[in-house]
Amino acid sequence: MFLDKMFPRAILHVDGDAFFAACEVSLNPKLKGKPVVTGLERGIASAMTYEAKAKGVTRGMRLFEIRKICPDVIILPSDYETYSIFSHRMFNIVRRYTTVVEEYSIDECFADLTGLDSSSGLSYTEIAMAIKRDLEGELGMTFSVGVSTSKVLAKVASKLKKPSGLVIIPGKEIEAHLMKLPIEKVWGIGSQTSLFLWRQGIHTALEFASKTEEWVKEKFSKPHEEIWHELRGVSLYRVCPGKIDEHKSISKTRTFTPASNNREFIFSQLSKNIENACIKARRHHLVAGEISFFLKTQEFRYSTLELKLSLPANVPEQILKVVIANFDKIYLPSVLYRASGITLRKLTDARVIQTDLFGQSIEVQSFNKMYKEIDALSQKYGKHTLFLGSSMKAMLDAQHTGDRGRPTVRKQELFLGETQRKRLGIPFMGEVS
Amino acid sequence: MPGYQEIMSLAGFKSKNAVYKLINKLVEEGIVEKDSKGKLTPLKLYGEIKMLGLVEAGFASAAEEELVDTMSLDEFLIDKKDATYMLRVKGDSMIDAGIQEGDMVLVERSKPPREGDIVIAEVDGGWTMKYYRKKAGKVYLEPANKNYPLIFPQHELNIAAVVKAVIRKYR
Repeated sequence: MFLDKMFPRAILHVDGDAFFAACEVSLNPKLKGKPVVTGLERGIASAMTYEAKAKGVTRGMRLFEIRKICPDVIILPSDYETYSIFSHRMFNIVRRYTTVVEEYSIDECFADLTGLDSSSGLSYTEIAMAIKRDLEGELGMTFSVGVSTSKVLAKVASKLKKPSGLVIIPGKEIEAHLMKLPIEKVWGIGSQTSLFLWRQGIHTALEFASKTEEWVKEKFSKPHEEIWHELRGVSLYRVCPGKIDEHKSISKTRTFTPASNNREFIFSQLSKNIENACIKARRHHLVAGEISFFLKTQEFRYSTLELKLSLPANVPEQILKVVIANFDKIYLPSVLYRASGITLRKLTDARVIQTDLFGQSIEVQSFNKMYKEIDALSQKYGKHTLFLGSSMKAMLDAQHTGDRGRPTVRKQELFLGETQRKRLGIPFMGEVS
Repeated sequence: MPGYQEIMSLAGFKSKNAVYKLINKLVEEGIVEKDSKGKLTPLKLYGEIKMLGLVEAGFASAAEEELVDTMSLDEFLIDKKDATYMLRVKGDSMIDAGIQEGDMVLVERSKPPREGDIVIAEVDGGWTMKYYRKKAGKVYLEPANKNYPLIFPQHELNIAAVVKAVIRKYR
């Protein structure tokens, strides 16, 4: 037996079932029980209900394909504003039980419940049930919940009975749950590693976890060795309380339709992404030491360029300067593009003042002052109250024209006093008669 | 302030080193200050009254304190933020309850309805807002408009939320 204790640690993993699609169904009862897909504006499925999954719809599937295999499908534009509110609520609800909550992604979180059983007088199963009940009752959708002795096992547990599962794996029952689990389904085991493991004759998580430590040490590097420990119930990965936004990097990308080869338009799209990425970086007091930007062709091919900044930055002017100088290295006038994107990397705390030999930091400081004002204006009047001229075309034009450009219900149904830019942060359930 | 020797006898210490350690501790805690010559100056004395600055006579200074007992409009309208949703009213089925077409209703999900509450129920794939009635163990929905019928659920009645407030903004 890997572990002869029940819960040396008790880690909870919560996963929203078909989250984006479920948000839509939660607000609109007409969608209940139907194949619903989100991602209309992108031309591909970003999420789908279990009814759509049952018809064979998968993530990333092109919409025309979806309509072919599932003619009664309802395809909706993504309403990220609403999904973010639901996400925020999900984390808040879990935080009622413990402050040690790690926002892992928009629809997933971990929480450390260790010790809560004795302080609350409830079992871990009862605590997990209560969290699930609150989430489902207040958010109007289902969640899959897992509790075990490590993060990797908690994730195994939440996946086992999706949707709306509740699986508890105490230390003594680990083996039984890993027996039928294909190794490639384990969090952190990528396709390359799986291939390698298959060649070693290892197909299940149990087979991997049953190998000796020497064997694992010999064949793998540290991360996989850690997964091996975690699978055996030893908690190495801590639940790090905090927002998802303790970013390693910040990326902003937007698809536009129809595809375009207009240099000015494509550049303005990229410029807008850069502005957005910088807004986020400034909100979290981060500066980027490196950036990469890409253009995606209509054939879904990417051309990417990575660049180092001479001084860490979080204002678009600084980043645009290097992007402008390098844009034509990847832009080809003969090619149709459908998306652009920026990633800010090597993020460090902006509050640590950096200086340089050439006085560039003085320029940065004046930009910082300016953006403090700009951010204050945005706070008051809405995002992009002020924006760069280089982003103009992207700001003025709808992101998508034609059928795909259909705005979300939320943006069409404004209450008196709400604007296109700023709305109440409360999910809208539509009309009631 | 007493000197080292005095402190030694006052505290009953047997060595100056003990006094030295005590003083360092007091300095660390910010209770006394030691100058370059080792002379002590008291920083905090017990029984002291903290000086908060001059206060003008009159009522103005009490304002901050009184504001503690006020709440924002958000707090007034919303109890359980994470379970609160909004809808827009269509039609006049609740007109006698003063709820008009176009009004915004704030509702709370996951709240058990009580007899007489205005609730949001799921009927025929849409939301409907009616009074929640319970007579002799039987649940039904009652509109606030005599031109509309009572709704007796055929099967199970899904009450999605309880109405907490109605908002009508004029300009």
